[in-house]
Amino acid sequence: MTTVQNAIPNAEAGSRGLDSAALRAAIQAEYELVAREPQRGFHFITGRPLAALLGYQEAWLAGIPEANLASFAGTGNPFTLGTIQPGERVVDVGSGAGLDSLIAARMTGPTGQVIGVDMTPAMLEKATEGAAQARVNNVTFRAGYAEALPVETGWADVIISNGVLNLMPDKSAALREMARVLRPGGRLQIGDILVQKPVPEDARADISLWTG
Amino acid sequence: MVTAAGFVGFEITSRHDVFSGAARASDAAEFGTLGINFRARRYASEAEWAAELAALNCEIPPR
Repeated sequence: MTTVQNAIPNAEAGSRGLDSAALRAAIQAEYELVAREPQRGFHFITGRPLAALLGYQEAWLAGIPEANLASFAGTGNPFTLGTIQPGERVVDVGSGAGLDSLIAARMTGPTGQVIGVDMTPAMLEKATEGAAQARVNNVTFRAGYAEALPVETGWADVIISNGVLNLMPDKSAALREMARVLRPGGRLQIGDILVQKPVPEDARADISLWTG
Repeated sequence: MVTAAGFVGFEITSRHDVFSGAARASDAAEFGTLGINFRARRYASEAEWAAELAALNCEIPPR
């Protein structure tokens, strides 16, 4: 992981005064808790109640291991933005416990492939176990960062991501990396957050506000 | 930012409150934070992207 972290382009290009390495460590610690203790309760809604709130269809959730669903922590629903077609290649950036990756894998079917990328080892472990339990064979989970995706250039037909871009100190770098991985004409389908009021510079450097 | 990164057709399709009712208090409401869905496409040609960039009426950060 250290090698990948050092390779991130413009990793320090976020808000002035923001310690990107400390931010990344804080986010990893928060989401390790979401993976290991989803019942703990967080400053965001999680699990099945969140999936219902965001319009996830029950048919999509059928057969998904409850442990993976319990650690779902998105902010939107990438599948309302376009249908994943059979045979498509999908990258899930910040795949977390794997809910969206597993749904996408079923949508694209045996002729398609899904790669989930996440920086939190506990999430990668949980997502991999969930895929095995659900007997979904066309998804793999890889360790990496949104700013340096471990995916071949032009590989993906679709990139999905859910509640992750807002956690990136350098959002432009992450978006450029998504553009690199998509084939020309490929689709970006993102759930994230929108801040409607200006955030002061000192608040942007406050890591507790990024994670809570 | 999305267009500058290499995309066209950026569109926010929905906004929703995903923080009210969370188990722990959040600072999200202070900044009017909402969950959103948005989509875009990787440009199919340099010409398509150039046209999209030209249509933006704002300064684009350097790549």
